[in-house]
Amino acid sequence: MNDARVKEGWVKTLWRYYRFPGSWAWILHRISGLVLTGYIILHIYALTTLQQGEKAFNEEMALFLTPIFKLLEWFLFAFVVFHTLNGIRIVLIDFADASRYQKVLYRWVWVLSIISFVGIGWFIMLH
Amino acid sequence: MSYRYLGSRGSGAPSWFFQRVTGIVLAIVMIFHFFLMHTDPASGHTYQAVLDRLSHPFWKMFDLAFVILGLYHGVNGTIGIFRDFEMKPWLRMGIYGFLVVLAVYFGVLGFTTILKF
Repeated sequence: MNDARVKEGWVKTLWRYYRFPGSWAWILHRISGLVLTGYIILHIYALTTLQQGEKAFNEEMALFLTPIFKLLEWFLFAFVVFHTLNGIRIVLIDFADASRYQKVLYRWVWVLSIISFVGIGWFIMLH
Repeated sequence: MSYRYLGSRGSGAPSWFFQRVTGIVLAIVMIFHFFLMHTDPASGHTYQAVLDRLSHPFWKMFDLAFVILGLYHGVNGTIGIFRDFEMKPWLRMGIYGFLVVLAVYFGVLGFTTILKF
């Protein structure tokens, strides 16, 4: 790597990209995707207690209904909703010629994410 | 440079396409999943309710599809991320292989849990 851009320093190089909303959408989509991939693996593993019978499963579920797990679940939802809405944005860009509106769509991803995050928080904390 | 090992057809177009298709399906399935688990906490968090649901072929298929689609989408996405990094072919193939084995392992684990009932 002896590109001229590397010589100017990585902060400046990254800033070339990250002053654009599309780059933030790109990196946040990847980070949330990795988190969710890790989560689905944990989720499948956690639910194997179903094979150990009623007692083991219900005890585990009682743990998952404690406030700390509800909080974790709420933050999990933040990753889910962002990844889903930004995923819809990507599908629109790829299949519906929406690249012209991608910056507006990115803003809507955030607006709808925050609204759903607050909404589902009320929903989760209710029980 | 993976193209030398995957052949010139390894453009990634199929994985790009299926990533979008599975993503759309997952988005729809996820909405049902959230309402199912959170409108009535008992439906998602008690042994009996889960067993009742799994006795219906529809929910069994729903869960099996969820496992396959979720793991496929997750691992395909992770492979897509690693595609962007330059690395030695053996390391690249090692990472891809590990991810595929991981997906298959947890897929089988999910299937055994669902199909036990």
